Amino acid sequence: MSTIRRARPAARRSSVRGRLLTTVLVLPAAAWYAILLISPLVIVTIFSFGVRAKNGGYAPAFVFDNYARAIQKSEPFVLSLEMAVAGTIGCLLVALPLAYFIATRVRRRKGLLVLLLVIPFWTSFLIRTYAWLLILGPDLGLAGRLQALTGADKVQILGTPIAVMIGLIYGYLPLMIFPLYVTLERMDRTLIEASKDLGAGRWATFRQITLPVALPGFVTGSILVFIPMMGEYVIPQILGYGRTYLMGNALVTDFLEARNWPQGSARAVFLIIVMIVTIAGYVWFVNRGRSTRDVSVL
Amino acid sequence: MAERDLDQALQRMGGARMSRRGFLYLAGLSSAAAALAACAGSSASPSTAASVAPSAAAPSVGGGASVAPSLSAAPTAAPSYEIEKQLYMYNWAEYISPKNIDEFKKRYGVTKFQYDVYDNNDALLAKLQAGGGGYDIASPTAEYVPGMVEQGFVQKLDKSRIPTLANIDPTFQKQWWDPNDEYLIPKDYGTTGILYRSTLLPSIPASWKDFYDLVKGPASGKTVFVDSMGDVFVFPLKMLGFSANSVDKGELDQARTILLEIAPHLLALDSNTYGTKMAKGEASLSLGWTGVLEQQMSKVADKGYVVPSDGTIYWLDTWVLLKDAPNPNAAYAWLNFIQEPAIQAEESDYNLYATPNAKARPLVDAKILNNQAIFPTEAELKNLEGSKDTSGNSQRTDIYEEFKQNIGKG
Repeated sequence: MSTIRRARPAARRSSVRGRLLTTVLVLPAAAWYAILLISPLVIVTIFSFGVRAKNGGYAPAFVFDNYARAIQKSEPFVLSLEMAVAGTIGCLLVALPLAYFIATRVRRRKGLLVLLLVIPFWTSFLIRTYAWLLILGPDLGLAGRLQALTGADKVQILGTPIAVMIGLIYGYLPLMIFPLYVTLERMDRTLIEASKDLGAGRWATFRQITLPVALPGFVTGSILVFIPMMGEYVIPQILGYGRTYLMGNALVTDFLEARNWPQGSARAVFLIIVMIVTIAGYVWFVNRGRSTRDVSVL
Repeated sequence: MAERDLDQALQRMGGARMSRRGFLYLAGLSSAAAALAACAGSSASPSTAASVAPSAAAPSVGGGASVAPSLSAAPTAAPSYEIEKQLYMYNWAEYISPKNIDEFKKRYGVTKFQYDVYDNNDALLAKLQAGGGGYDIASPTAEYVPGMVEQGFVQKLDKSRIPTLANIDPTFQKQWWDPNDEYLIPKDYGTTGILYRSTLLPSIPASWKDFYDLVKGPASGKTVFVDSMGDVFVFPLKMLGFSANSVDKGELDQARTILLEIAPHLLALDSNTYGTKMAKGEASLSLGWTGVLEQQMSKVADKGYVVPSDGTIYWLDTWVLLKDAPNPNAAYAWLNFIQEPAIQAEESDYNLYATPNAKARPLVDAKILNNQAIFPTEAELKNLEGSKDTSGNSQRTDIYEEFKQNIGKG
């Protein structure tokens, strides 16, 4: 008895201390989210019901006009959606073989290859995007080479949706490779051996073993890639020559040209809502019938 | 905001002068700055408060007239004000001739001339909203001044103390930003116009009408517009003979027709690297600003710039006297001094911007004066219109967005 009696306050003390410690450790992250994620969202939502102030900006009001216009002017949104879906698929097509190769075929120097994937991040995204101006350009770039090869009068790549697509896939590819690589790397190789032992061909093994194993990585990767693609601004502006008018460009027009913050906010909120619904639906769709298996989102 | 960072990065690379104009369309951000400043409270107290205590009389420089060599054709004031020994100026980088600063210090016995710099109007505004930092004088772009007046950051000028104001060209007076010329003094200006490469075009455009024909013809697919709503509208509206600042529904409808007709012929909408596109020959024609001519296009021999004969808009940087200026007398002395013709001509020689000072104009170095990209001719000057903030007009925004969606489509 006495031991139990003595133990209890001690346990309570330690649990109080534990909770305190938890609070202290969680606080910075919580504050970070509250200040840098929640409050901007709240502000944008409040702005979205306002009106444009006389000299631009935001003036308090409660109107729905901004949303009506956001929905009515949905072309940039639809175009963004098309580009982001195509870009995500493009990323997958490039990333899957590469991730598979590094995860399963490389023995030595695996770390080096992974490092090579990270190295581009050491350079500013903007500068890398500018580099594509040269790579695709008319002088020494792809367009020039194609022109010389085919003898065509003029090959124009920059300024077209193709250039934007190349930029999108290039820019976000690592975000697709890493989750795929991680899942494939952890894959139990004996499953493949078992599959082969049981008489499955290469394609059947790939389809029935590798793909399902890679699926969580693909779901994570596609979300990581799709979301920023929806709001992309720099790539269509620089590689697209401002000719592919995406959601990000529309937001810039609202905020910086029209200086109509409520209008821009409404468009942003509309985008956020549609994205949440889309991604929730997507995760649900992928997870259905797989309730026992975890699909990691991050 | 990436584009903004890019702008600034490019400016740093190309010197502060490259796209002064690019900053203008940020005017609207001021309200956010206001909100932030309100949150921050008036934390920044005038940093120079202590040093502003009435100084002992500056040695025998009661007025400019007695000491000044008579550089000015205009009557020089002989104010009986005691000129403080210091002047605190907040301005754009490399925007004032050091020679003039030395001359001013010598002539008025000012020993401390503080020249601090900002790199966009919003930085200036934020400083003012945070208490002003104890500056006497600043140089906002004209569009910003009404807001500054509204918020009480700027003093009404005592024009009797600035007789050299008579030297200012009337083109730049009584504009919407200061209808009675009470608060600002024009400092430097520049235009929106046509950039071209003569060897890549069959003819050189002289007007927006010529520009229109070229874009639809030989320069189709080789024309770039800067991505700035106010500047893009100048072209169709001026070509049609309307005000560049028009918000008339019928006039804008006509402008829309032209813009949508032109859109498929454009190579790009690009405010950052249109000079590079021109330099590489990817583009032969642009609607833009003059900054890139000396920067991205510095090595291009056949470049040219035209102020369209059917008119265009200009931007204007100004002098304002700040509220609670700690050294008002030195400030007035400066404002008067800087508009003396010879002094003002030296300004243009140094900073390579056009001066709105009509008397100074003939004294400017001929090389600079005859550079069309810097100085519009006297005739062109008559067709200039001050750029007005029309971004609140939703018809304009709708048209601009439609235009953007149609660029290169066809």
